[in-house]
Amino acid sequence: MGLVSWLVLLPFLTTVAVVLTPASKSRNIRWVAALGTGAHLLLTAFVTWKYWQAASPDFPSMKTALATKLYLVERMPWFESMGIQYFVGLDGISMAMIILTSIIIFTGVMASWNVEVRTKEFFALLLTLVTGVFGVFVSFDLFLFFVFYELAVLPMYLLIGVWGTGPKEYSAMKLTLMLMVGSAFILVGILALYHVSGTHSFDLITLGQATYDSDFQRWVFPMLFVGFGVLGALYPFHTWSPDGHASAPTAVSMLHAGVLMKLGGYGALRIAVYLLPQGAQYWGLFFMAVTTINILYGSFGAITQKDLKYFTAYSSVSHCGFVLFGVAALNMMSFKGAIIQMFSHGIMTGLFFGLIGMVYGRTHTRIIPEMGGLAKVMPWLATCFYIAGLASLGLPGFSGFVAESSVFLGGFFGNPWHDITAMRILTLLATCSVVVTAVYVLRGLAKVFAGPITDAHFEHLTDATLTERISTGMLVATLAVVGLMPGTLINLIESSVYPLVNRLHAIGGKF
Amino acid sequence: MFTLILPELIVILTAFLILGVDLFVSEKNRVVLAPLTLVGLGAATAAIFFQMPEAGALFGGRFAVDSVTWWFKFLFILSTGITIALSLDMLDGRKVLENAQTPRLRFRGEYYTILLFTLSGMMFLVSARDLITLYVSLELATIPLFVLASWKRDGNAGEAGLKYVIMGALASALLLYGFSLLYGLTGQTDLHAISQGLTPSPLLWLAVALIVSGIGFKMTIVPFHFWAAEVYQGAPTPITAYLSVASKGAGLALMFQLFFRVFGGFFKDWQIAIAVFAALTMTLGNLGAIVQNNIKRFMAFSAISQAGYMIMGFLGPQKESIASMIFYMWVYVITNLAVFGVIIFHSNQTGKEEITDYRGLAQTNPLMALGMMLGLFGLAGIPPLSGFVGKFFLFSIASATGFHWLVAVAAVNSTISLYYYLRIVRQMYIEPPAAGAKALEVSPVLGFTVTTTVLASVALGVFPFFYNIVNAQTSGWMSLFVK
Repeated sequence: MGLVSWLVLLPFLTTVAVVLTPASKSRNIRWVAALGTGAHLLLTAFVTWKYWQAASPDFPSMKTALATKLYLVERMPWFESMGIQYFVGLDGISMAMIILTSIIIFTGVMASWNVEVRTKEFFALLLTLVTGVFGVFVSFDLFLFFVFYELAVLPMYLLIGVWGTGPKEYSAMKLTLMLMVGSAFILVGILALYHVSGTHSFDLITLGQATYDSDFQRWVFPMLFVGFGVLGALYPFHTWSPDGHASAPTAVSMLHAGVLMKLGGYGALRIAVYLLPQGAQYWGLFFMAVTTINILYGSFGAITQKDLKYFTAYSSVSHCGFVLFGVAALNMMSFKGAIIQMFSHGIMTGLFFGLIGMVYGRTHTRIIPEMGGLAKVMPWLATCFYIAGLASLGLPGFSGFVAESSVFLGGFFGNPWHDITAMRILTLLATCSVVVTAVYVLRGLAKVFAGPITDAHFEHLTDATLTERISTGMLVATLAVVGLMPGTLINLIESSVYPLVNRLHAIGGKF
Repeated sequence: MFTLILPELIVILTAFLILGVDLFVSEKNRVVLAPLTLVGLGAATAAIFFQMPEAGALFGGRFAVDSVTWWFKFLFILSTGITIALSLDMLDGRKVLENAQTPRLRFRGEYYTILLFTLSGMMFLVSARDLITLYVSLELATIPLFVLASWKRDGNAGEAGLKYVIMGALASALLLYGFSLLYGLTGQTDLHAISQGLTPSPLLWLAVALIVSGIGFKMTIVPFHFWAAEVYQGAPTPITAYLSVASKGAGLALMFQLFFRVFGGFFKDWQIAIAVFAALTMTLGNLGAIVQNNIKRFMAFSAISQAGYMIMGFLGPQKESIASMIFYMWVYVITNLAVFGVIIFHSNQTGKEEITDYRGLAQTNPLMALGMMLGLFGLAGIPPLSGFVGKFFLFSIASATGFHWLVAVAAVNSTISLYYYLRIVRQMYIEPPAAGAKALEVSPVLGFTVTTTVLASVALGVFPFFYNIVNAQTSGWMSLFVK
């Protein structure tokens, strides 16, 4: 068992430990979960260091590489006759995503410290889900990838259905079914790639060496992109997201908006764009247009919302639109922007949903007009909320700015395959959303936290507890670190973005 | 050479032995019949293991053994064994179950005997190499099932039995008509000789159509599935389980016999028809399952849609086709029996069969609910359960032969099926238990059966050896018939 396997095994073992802890002691269960995820954080730090050591000497040579280079690789035959392997490893993009997930799950566990109903099942499912997420980010065999991908989606049904609020059964079913239809298309795409490539392998690197004729690329690319797009809240398949996030319990919203939606963008980049460059060139502009709708629709949707969770969920639709926009814009800058946006939005939205859960736990309402003046009684939560809000409207100094500006610059620079004017118009339209975001974020925050306290009940509310401070503090710190020193994250991912772009130029060409 | 037929002989001898013992022991002592039956099944399994590397023919080539027959026979014996384990509480009425709501099943001796007869029919069916033997063994497998389906002797059982007999007789008649046309076309009864002598002609297509409808009945392929829901509902639940697994396995074996052995040369011609049947079966089966409220009818439609996935393996002469289908059949049998184990446990204790009766099961009986959920997810094809791996291999065959649209239909259908399987999960996990609901008592035999089948259904998906062994043994099989 190598290091990378441990990244997946540790959450799984934590799940087992949670299951074995007696159900009567909900405190012990929380501690087991917290220790497991805390240990994972340390493990991630160690693995990152190892990765850096192994990968940094190769950074210069990756500028011209055509295949992504993996480190800490482990391979084992699995269903051998089908060419299926247990093949895990890390490159820069997956390393960044692992760091993100590790932070979110730890803070998520911290934020669910007050779950008292069926605690054991809750943590067991949450950790199963995150096992799937880690698995997706380290798998480089498409079969294994798909196994983890579905494992990451399904526990959501019970998590929302049992511990959710509002129309939870409806939201849970809608979310599960829409995501599963998405993965059905991914399955079609994966099998088609496997058979058409003739490599008799599901290994991403091997599949990347095969050639696919352009007709094939043209029909498989949208299958994969839309299939992953469903999870990345691609318009018009985003409708599960507001309902799902609004109904989900706090930690689940955090994990789902923070990490799970990133699987969509990750898959689109890693599998669809990597394997099918010509397909990407053919469909790039179309998907840029669709994701522009995504971005604008999400932000205008957020303006009209009265419920804090719906508000954040729509803003997530808009922000995840940036990720897919960056992927569709097909150049170095936009890819980097998309990945940083995945990271940044993951942290930011995790913070948002965590805070909403904490505020809701106190006020028992999420309706914005019913709240007011909360900053007086809960200064810590209010400060964190302001920071999250400012980060989400792209204030320089926080990670959101780095991400969004890279995506916009990328879109504005254009690429050799698409009409530069069209790309620029779309980019300008998408940029407008930043203004809209500022409107709804500032207005919402002002209503909830500023001004006099509107309701006598609110006067006796308490500020964040210790676990809540750990949770929110960590997320705020991450936002600031990435915002102030984006170079570290960019260095980490850059070497793995080059191959994606190089493939577009070398294999793609004009179609 | 004699060892080739040993497993069948053991099964038949056990059947007669049970019948004899049943005559001479008192009602109280009839509990020994079940262990006796299981010992017989164990001996038959051992006999297959014993013959395993040996393949050959008996009776002038009318009875033969090869790699595919081993795996089917194992499967039939396994499903019979598990079915007996699932029936035990209803037949023997253990002490712990004195408060059970379901009336006991009577006539244990006959029950086991008849079950063993149908098993022997299925075992002969896979080994038959001649139209006559094939037909006779098919009838031997089917007719005892008519009796078992109406075992309970109430209104529903009567309807089930009658419907099953009439539809079954019709299907047999159609199949026989198809066989007689094949004989007329070639003048042969030997399957291999027929396949050599066939040339495309309108009569051949008529024969194929008749045979397809006969097989469609066994496999519950749409539009030959109409009998399934009522029969499944009226039969005693262990027999419902048996019908959904062993009978379907027999249908698959029959398809192997006829489509590979006899029509193997016309692959290109029936490929598209199989694709259409598969798409129809899985879609209509799934749509039917959505509206069911009775759990047994629900499982009937679920089983119909599963048949649609299974026949995807016939789409192309791929190297993996045979192994994929056998593997999926195994996975399906084990997973389905796990689910039926929980259904039987629940209806034994409560006497209820509606889906809404399962509310709150996760809080009263968490382990049984977990077993049920894993079983249902396995049927829906959720990784890392073996149901997913099996489906993936079958989809892969469709993809390899260029039927990408069918892969899309099948994958979307898996999602639809997930919707209705989640309806039960929702009752068990999300709905609170009914007021005053207490934990139901789990009898040791059901607890053991559900545990082992669920674990097996997980293990088959995670560990590759089973598939590897099946694949290693059967990968060359098809090249004998399909060019």
